Amino acid sequence: MLKSKIEEIKKQVLEEIEKVKNSDALFDLEKKYLGRKSEFVGFLKNLKNLAPEERKQIGELANKTKLEILDIINGKKADLSKTGPSAEKEKIDVTIPGNKKGVGHLNPISIVRRDIEDIFTGMGFEIADGPEIETEFYNFDALNMPKDHPAREMQETFWLKNKKGKENLAMRTQTSAVQAKYMEKHKPPLRIIVPGKCFRRDGSDATHDNTFYQFEALIVGENINVGHLKQVAEDFFSQFFGQEIKVRLRPSYFPFTEPSFEFDISCTVCGGTGCKACKYNKCLELGGAGMVNQNVFEAVGYKRNAYTGFAWGFGLERLAMMKYKIDDCRLFHSGDLRFIRQF
Amino acid sequence: MKYSYNWLKELSDTKLSPEKAAELLTMHSFEIEGLEKNNASLDGVVVGEILEITKHPNADKLQIATVETRHASSRLQIVCGAPNIAVGQKVPVAVVGTKLSGGEIKEAEIRGVKSFGMLCAEDELGLGESHAGILILDKKAKVGEPVAKYLGGADDSVLEIKVLPDRAHDILSHVGVARELSVLEKKKFSYAFNELILPTKKSQKLKVEIKDKDLCKRYVGVVMENITIKESPRWLKDRLEICGLRPINNVVDATNYVMLELGQPLHAFDMEKVSSQGTRNKEQETNKLQNSKFKAQIIVRRAKNNEMLTLLDDSKIKLNESNLLITNGDDALALAGIMGGKDSGISENTKTIVLEAASFDAVNIRRTRTVLGLNTDSSYRFEKDLDPNLTEKAMVRVIDILEHIAGGKIEGIADIYPKKISPWTVRLDLEYANQLLGENVPLKELVSILNLLGIHTKYQIPASPAGRQNTKYSAIACTIPTYRLDLRTQEDLIEDIGRIWGYEKIVPRPMIAEVLPAKLNEQVFFERIIQDKLTGLGFDEMYNYSFYGADDLKKTGFSESEHLELANPMNPDQQFVRAKMTVNILKNVRENLKNFSCISIFEIGKRYMLKNGEPAEERNLILAKVLEKDSNSETFYNLKGTTEDLLEAFNIKNTQFLEIEKSSTILNPGRSAKIVVGGKAVGFVGEVSQMVCANYKISKHLAIAEINLEVLRDVAKNTLEYQPINKFPVVSRDISMIVPKDIKYAQIETLVKKTGGELVNNILLFDRFEAKNSMAIRIEMSAKDRTLESAEIDAVMEKIIPRLKNDLSVEVRK
Repeated sequence: MLKSKIEEIKKQVLEEIEKVKNSDALFDLEKKYLGRKSEFVGFLKNLKNLAPEERKQIGELANKTKLEILDIINGKKADLSKTGPSAEKEKIDVTIPGNKKGVGHLNPISIVRRDIEDIFTGMGFEIADGPEIETEFYNFDALNMPKDHPAREMQETFWLKNKKGKENLAMRTQTSAVQAKYMEKHKPPLRIIVPGKCFRRDGSDATHDNTFYQFEALIVGENINVGHLKQVAEDFFSQFFGQEIKVRLRPSYFPFTEPSFEFDISCTVCGGTGCKACKYNKCLELGGAGMVNQNVFEAVGYKRNAYTGFAWGFGLERLAMMKYKIDDCRLFHSGDLRFIRQF
Repeated sequence: MKYSYNWLKELSDTKLSPEKAAELLTMHSFEIEGLEKNNASLDGVVVGEILEITKHPNADKLQIATVETRHASSRLQIVCGAPNIAVGQKVPVAVVGTKLSGGEIKEAEIRGVKSFGMLCAEDELGLGESHAGILILDKKAKVGEPVAKYLGGADDSVLEIKVLPDRAHDILSHVGVARELSVLEKKKFSYAFNELILPTKKSQKLKVEIKDKDLCKRYVGVVMENITIKESPRWLKDRLEICGLRPINNVVDATNYVMLELGQPLHAFDMEKVSSQGTRNKEQETNKLQNSKFKAQIIVRRAKNNEMLTLLDDSKIKLNESNLLITNGDDALALAGIMGGKDSGISENTKTIVLEAASFDAVNIRRTRTVLGLNTDSSYRFEKDLDPNLTEKAMVRVIDILEHIAGGKIEGIADIYPKKISPWTVRLDLEYANQLLGENVPLKELVSILNLLGIHTKYQIPASPAGRQNTKYSAIACTIPTYRLDLRTQEDLIEDIGRIWGYEKIVPRPMIAEVLPAKLNEQVFFERIIQDKLTGLGFDEMYNYSFYGADDLKKTGFSESEHLELANPMNPDQQFVRAKMTVNILKNVRENLKNFSCISIFEIGKRYMLKNGEPAEERNLILAKVLEKDSNSETFYNLKGTTEDLLEAFNIKNTQFLEIEKSSTILNPGRSAKIVVGGKAVGFVGEVSQMVCANYKISKHLAIAEINLEVLRDVAKNTLEYQPINKFPVVSRDISMIVPKDIKYAQIETLVKKTGGELVNNILLFDRFEAKNSMAIRIEMSAKDRTLESAEIDAVMEKIIPRLKNDLSVEVRK
């Protein structure tokens, strides 16, 4: 008897809930069937008058049904909130732009510099730096370029009116100036890179600027050879460009290295088969490299022929230009936000 | 330098195509800057045969030629104004479509007669200046073939080589490059260089004396008589022109030719001018000569201070003791190694000449020509050092040529060579050579390369018996020919062995080294964090030049004395070295305001100063901010907030912003503050004064902040320690007040903290109405061990409020 009554109530709920169209009606329905004064709660209150056997049986059924009704009501609630008129009221245009705070942008030189630093740090290189205003001695003499050396003409120099004591001062023309200073203070084996700002008194065009960034690598130890230079360079460039890069060395001349090389890498666009980007040369020119001249070692106080080492100096701009296909190196120092905000 | 490939071919006997040779040289020797077919501009100009000539019906001076070129389907009718044409002649014909220096040849109608091309004169082909008539070709020229084939420098190619300083002494010459080509082809160099030996006939007419043996290492003077000055033969002119030199007359051209061939600059004087004509010092020096048998003398000496000389190019120069002169005892004849004097040069009447082949000190030539601003083919070679033995070779060559083309006869030679340069020996350690290259170059190949280079080799055996068991030879004694001045150390030799053998044969090898962590560059990684925080806060990164101009000093009011200055700036805008980070960032703001209405930018870089008269550098951060809507002081507070955010990011808590007593010239003094952390000045934040903004045409409020990154890194070195989270509730009370004008917020905060004691955790300024001097603060209170009773809180507030009233005359509103 009671059992059929409970099932009847559930049936009624299922029937009535179909007709419910808003949350107010649902609230009334919930009150009617599950409220404190509802018929159902009345049953539950009267359970105590039943025989123990029956009480257990009906009690279980009543509780189960109560939970089922609650589920039905909650389900309806969820449905209503999705489709109901209040949802309609709150509907917004989600295509309107959000309130951006705006994230800033690093100069591409910084990005490339970090890439380089991270790869070399991973290979156990220390990042070194030195002053950007150098004495004539460290910028030239210590690098096997004494006064009146014709090689000085290869690097047009900004000289300062001011002097350090009697010494002439220059805006450093190369990060190699740090080489001698570092070696004076450290004994081999050593592995450093020197990323930094350099200056040359050159006319500026799309590929030259009087201010530029170089990164120097220097390895000194016993038995360092040209094969090592090739390997370290190939490892670095392959990682930097995310593709296999081959290194090509051509003869060149720098006073601070002997032998000296022009340093090319296989074209990053065609991989070395020849294309427009490399002007069908299969290679891209990157900069100078070489085995450290023993005169440089002597100048910093190492014994001649006790060590060998290699060094190179490349332009950071060139790498950034290759990576991002930038066609004018003056953009890096332009300060133009239309440029910077692209990175 | 430009090289004629035909000339190189002649000297080296190479059979290689110019392209192949250029490739070989690029990979093994030096950079090739260009390879161009000579006369490439003559494409489209072909040999034509004149079949018929008729008078132009409407013009007396014009003729109509019918020409066979085998290019057009029929014979061409061409109107021509030159009188020198005749039937049967072979002439250059520019067919329709050919581009000459004067423009493209088009079909034309000349006085009513159609013309289909042009017969060319020398100047129209860019071969000379003559427009006297149509260039008549050799009768054997084949009709229809490119005319370039029958002209000077036909089928030649111009090779342009980037000559680096170490090889200038041998490579700035055709012989040098030809020798290099032979080495690369593994061929013995065929040019009879070693056989160029001076005759021993001593001059009876010329005496040479070197007063300054440090600056002139050798002077070979030769008297040649019976000279006829005239135009050079075509072959000689062609060679000079291909190499970019202008033909002048046979004597001058011959000296230039030999310079291009051997790299030794030569000079020719008129003998009459060498015989003293001067008036000064006549008593003293000319007398000396009169007593001797010689008719003329060359004295190489330093110039006297203020001595004057008129050069070949008509420029008058004033000299001093550091300049070296060629004189006749009285008068200066030439500025040694740089340029001849005007008065001593060859003229069309010259009959007897004195030829000079000398060797000068490179440093002295370089200094003199730099100071005087001269740059000649001669100085270009001398300033890079030359082998004194080359003078002899060059003299032999020029005598030979002049005998042929000027009818000259050698009278005799005066050769002064105080300190003869002989070949030197360099010991090459074989093991070291292979170790430096990283590959074992087969011994036979290694020695063969050295020998091809002209180096005499002699094996050395290991000193110890044990060593002898391991290798047969330990080293090679290399005798270097004097024409390779650059080969001084064994590394120099290893470079030549490596490049000629082929760097491409060197295999990449992993380095073997101890695994040691790299020392971390703290400054680099510290600055990365700054960059990351700032980009997170919406700031874009600038990179600026380290220079600015005098105009900027004027605009900002910064003084020149604080600045380092360039001795040779490229332009006045970059005369001073950056001592203030602010200057260039102002320009960044100005430029970007043209495209953007709000700007947040920063730069990390160095400023350069004088500290006790010496240069010093300091790494700094500069920030600049322009707001879209910038009412009153908002921009300042906005950027101040950024600096606070940044400092807090490094867990710096004890930051103070203090009024600046003596503010920077560019800041609004009422709106700038010094940033101090733990008593250390870290930087400043402030609004740029209206005047400076106006100077830079910035019409909005601009706030800037500068932070010394070395100091910041130092104060940021605190260790972070976790503070337990308070389990008890925080209660807050607000106070609204009217604050007298001269009382600063910092005073209120300090007083509240001090009076409130331990229970006050935090004070917030949550409302402010500047015009009425009203402020509202919220005081947050809690205890670490209990929930605060309201009586306790009231007690604190009752202490604070009277103190605010009494100490700071603040009016607290209920």
